Amino acid sequence: MYPTNNPIYINTLDDNFAKLRDFFYDHDKLTLKIRQNDILYDAEQVYFSTDKEDNLALFFFKDGLREITFSKGLTYEEMEDFLRIISLDFNREVLDDDLVTLFWEKDFQNIDYVVDDVVLSDEENYEERAVEEIKEKGPSEDNLQKAYEDAFRDEEEIKDVSIVPLADRDLQSLVVELERDSLDKIGKLFDILFEMLFMSEKNSDYDDLADFFMGAVEYAVGRGEITMVTDLLARAKAAADNKNYSDEIRNCATRIIYLSGSETVINLLGEILDTGQELEEKIIEDFIRYLDRNAIAPFMKVLGELRSIHARKIVIDALVVLGTKDIMTLAKGLSDSRWYVVRNIIYILRKIGDKRAVDHLLKTVKHGDVRVKKEVIRALGELGGSGVLQALRECLEDPDIQVRSAALKAFGNIGSEAAKKILLGRFLDKNFKDKHFDEKKEYFEVLARWKDKEIFDYFVATLKTRTFLGRAKNVENRSCAAYGLGLTGNKEALPFLNKYKNDSNKLLREYCFSAIKRLESG
Amino acid sequence: MDNREDVEIGRVAKELINQLSVVLRTAQIHDPNNIAVVSVIDKMTALVNHLIVSERVIALELRGEYFYINELRVRYALEHLLNFDFLVREFKKRELGSIVFKDKISPEDIKVFIKAFISSTFSSKPFDVIDEKLSVVKTITVDRLKKIVDEGALEPRKMVKKAYFNAVSYTRGVINKIQSGEKVNIKKAKRVVETMVDQILEQEQLLLGMTAIKDYDEYTYHHSVNVSVLSIALGQHLGLNRKMLTELGMVALFHDIGKMEIPYDILNKPTNFTDEEWKIIRKHPVWGVRALLKLKKLDTLTIKSAIVAFEHHMHFDLSGYPRTVKGLELDFFSKIVCLADQYDAMTSSRVYSRIPMSPDKALSIMMERAGKELDPLLFKFFTNMVGVFPIGTLVMLNTKELGLVYESNQLFAARPRVMLIMDTHGNRIKGHVADLTEKDARDQYIRTIVRTMDPNKYKINLAEYLL
Repeated sequence: MYPTNNPIYINTLDDNFAKLRDFFYDHDKLTLKIRQNDILYDAEQVYFSTDKEDNLALFFFKDGLREITFSKGLTYEEMEDFLRIISLDFNREVLDDDLVTLFWEKDFQNIDYVVDDVVLSDEENYEERAVEEIKEKGPSEDNLQKAYEDAFRDEEEIKDVSIVPLADRDLQSLVVELERDSLDKIGKLFDILFEMLFMSEKNSDYDDLADFFMGAVEYAVGRGEITMVTDLLARAKAAADNKNYSDEIRNCATRIIYLSGSETVINLLGEILDTGQELEEKIIEDFIRYLDRNAIAPFMKVLGELRSIHARKIVIDALVVLGTKDIMTLAKGLSDSRWYVVRNIIYILRKIGDKRAVDHLLKTVKHGDVRVKKEVIRALGELGGSGVLQALRECLEDPDIQVRSAALKAFGNIGSEAAKKILLGRFLDKNFKDKHFDEKKEYFEVLARWKDKEIFDYFVATLKTRTFLGRAKNVENRSCAAYGLGLTGNKEALPFLNKYKNDSNKLLREYCFSAIKRLESG
Repeated sequence: MDNREDVEIGRVAKELINQLSVVLRTAQIHDPNNIAVVSVIDKMTALVNHLIVSERVIALELRGEYFYINELRVRYALEHLLNFDFLVREFKKRELGSIVFKDKISPEDIKVFIKAFISSTFSSKPFDVIDEKLSVVKTITVDRLKKIVDEGALEPRKMVKKAYFNAVSYTRGVINKIQSGEKVNIKKAKRVVETMVDQILEQEQLLLGMTAIKDYDEYTYHHSVNVSVLSIALGQHLGLNRKMLTELGMVALFHDIGKMEIPYDILNKPTNFTDEEWKIIRKHPVWGVRALLKLKKLDTLTIKSAIVAFEHHMHFDLSGYPRTVKGLELDFFSKIVCLADQYDAMTSSRVYSRIPMSPDKALSIMMERAGKELDPLLFKFFTNMVGVFPIGTLVMLNTKELGLVYESNQLFAARPRVMLIMDTHGNRIKGHVADLTEKDARDQYIRTIVRTMDPNKYKINLAEYLL
């Protein structure tokens, strides 16, 4: 219920240990006798329950425990280990050990227990029956007599089996062998399964093998042995591509690759990534390279569940690689209810750079979250294509400045004549002049990217334009034009800029001055 | 005492036991004043005196197969394995239960102890000799070896029998369950094997004796258990810890599980196999892997079991079966199980060859195979474990008595304990177990093996004597 550093947990243990210590002040042993429904100390019942579920006596009894003795000298660690064991959830399938095995493995020095092993025998009286049977087959005395007589004939002599005493060198070799043996065995199991693949004869053999490989892959991924799985996939790929092998072998190898991208495997990988276990990105990249497109959907699912940013980045990179195999499946992620998943998928589609994604992306332009909108606008700007300009044009009128700004940049990225025309057209809008200075400046900045004569002339014309009405706004426009001219890199703008560098308006003066500096410094 | 102190005492304790063993071994070869002996005695003295500062009294006690120092069990370390084993045997031989160092000692005190120890070798009451000769030393005392008997516990032989037959019964149940598609309880298997590991640690010879009985009707199940017992015993001699021994016992228990797929008629065929039948027999390692991987969700133990099931007939030089495309290096457990499997199969009467061998003959054949089919290093450990005359070997003694090897002797491999079954006049007797290390007043061995014979040839029912 509590983590081990929780004060309640620690205090409970401390209290228990203090009680035991007090007990051992006067006694050497604390022996508890266990029966099905009760626990006795010194013939006195100290626990009773007839409950089937919540019954400590039965909990011990069913595994064969009949007596537990704690001895003076019991350490705090032993008591804690003991309590930890009995607190485990034994109903969980994954637990392969019962109470007695767990006690046995701990090898307690100060906790002894008596076990009734009757629970181990599958048959009643098996021992008696087997011993009786074997003894019934007793020899006749004549045979023994004959052995005695034969012993005096020179038929057989002592066999020469010399026992070579063990030397230090033997022990050293043994230590080396044991060290080598301590490595994980999963690689060996993969080797064996491959050998079995080549030995298989029936269809059911191949089906079994695919299941075994699957289990082994899940086991390996669950333990973070990704490189081992990558090696396996490389071998499976080689087998699948080898035309000298039978169709059955090649199909099975293909299935192994397919199954390695299953939801179970990818979920396990996600869990590993989320634990913060250090996994080099290269290891994951190598693994991903062998997966098939069926892994895309599970990866997208995992993407929405991961907690750590690092893990999400790895999965995103994986989808950038995998997504190329099936844009359609990837694009389904754009309908996810979580804004961050949608944004990640847009990022992935942008990185992949496949124009087939544009139609799907266009549907998200009107997404309710600004962060998604910005990402999709950026993606559309990089991908371009039909329908994009119209969508982006609408974005220029979005109430949110961030969206409008993203759209402007997207136009710049597209860099086409049509895009330029749309932006220039925006200047004619009667409301343009009323835009905030920064936004107007951004327009000029984006347009400066074209660096052509049309833009140059337009900027010079704007710089020169003087009005009487709305003078302040006009100065803003002229300053933006000066700024834009500086960005074009065209030194022909210098005479125009020099003309206004001493203008009475401070804003215009400053922007002209900056642009001149930029152009002169090249 | 906190944990760090425990660890430090444990380390010094290990060194102390190791050093005591070194002292006794060296002193058995050299004179006590020899520089080699003096040097090891000095080191031993320093170790005791170092520990006595913090502990005041040091009681080194043998309980079962373990040494305890001041109630702290000293765990075996692989590098000290041989010396630990030596000391256990020497203590047992002399009925020596404990040595207590009551204060700081001098090298002279140790010399007195060594002399007492060595002079007790040929005495019929070795402990009394040590106790008496040591009475002049005030700082060292000894106690007699206590028999470990749990209150209410069954006597060792009965417990061993129970453990063995529980294992056979369980194995039988597992095979039946797998064949009928039922779920197998692995928790039970672990318990069964853990009990065997405990018995090997406490009563190795008794449990090995159970494997020497080869006339059981249900060969397959007994063979699995025998291989498990022999593997655990070998593992123990290799210095594996209890957890590893359990794993080894488990993988050995299931090594032949693929055989359940072999048709009954072939498995129990009274004549030699045809080529076609051999083909089927040779598939059982692969079938074993299949059965094991279908048994339960993959975990470390299942993987190890599958590896051993696949490799146990491949041989050390990979000349066996199945033949593999990629050259595999045999797993450590596979090499152990391969040895145990060959030994038990050769000495049994229901294997493919149909010709049972006497244990010593099997060993001599295995010796020829060492380096080819069998790992030579592990075989060396194996022969040291079973001895020249394995349990169940029929032997004629120079006294014209006929007997069965009852317990191997780790120190004097040629001098096991023998149950006499025919007296010097050829009369059938039963019950007396003679220790072949016993000497007479002229310092001559009373009994020596002059001939080994095949108990199967004379249909000797080992169960009658060993069960």
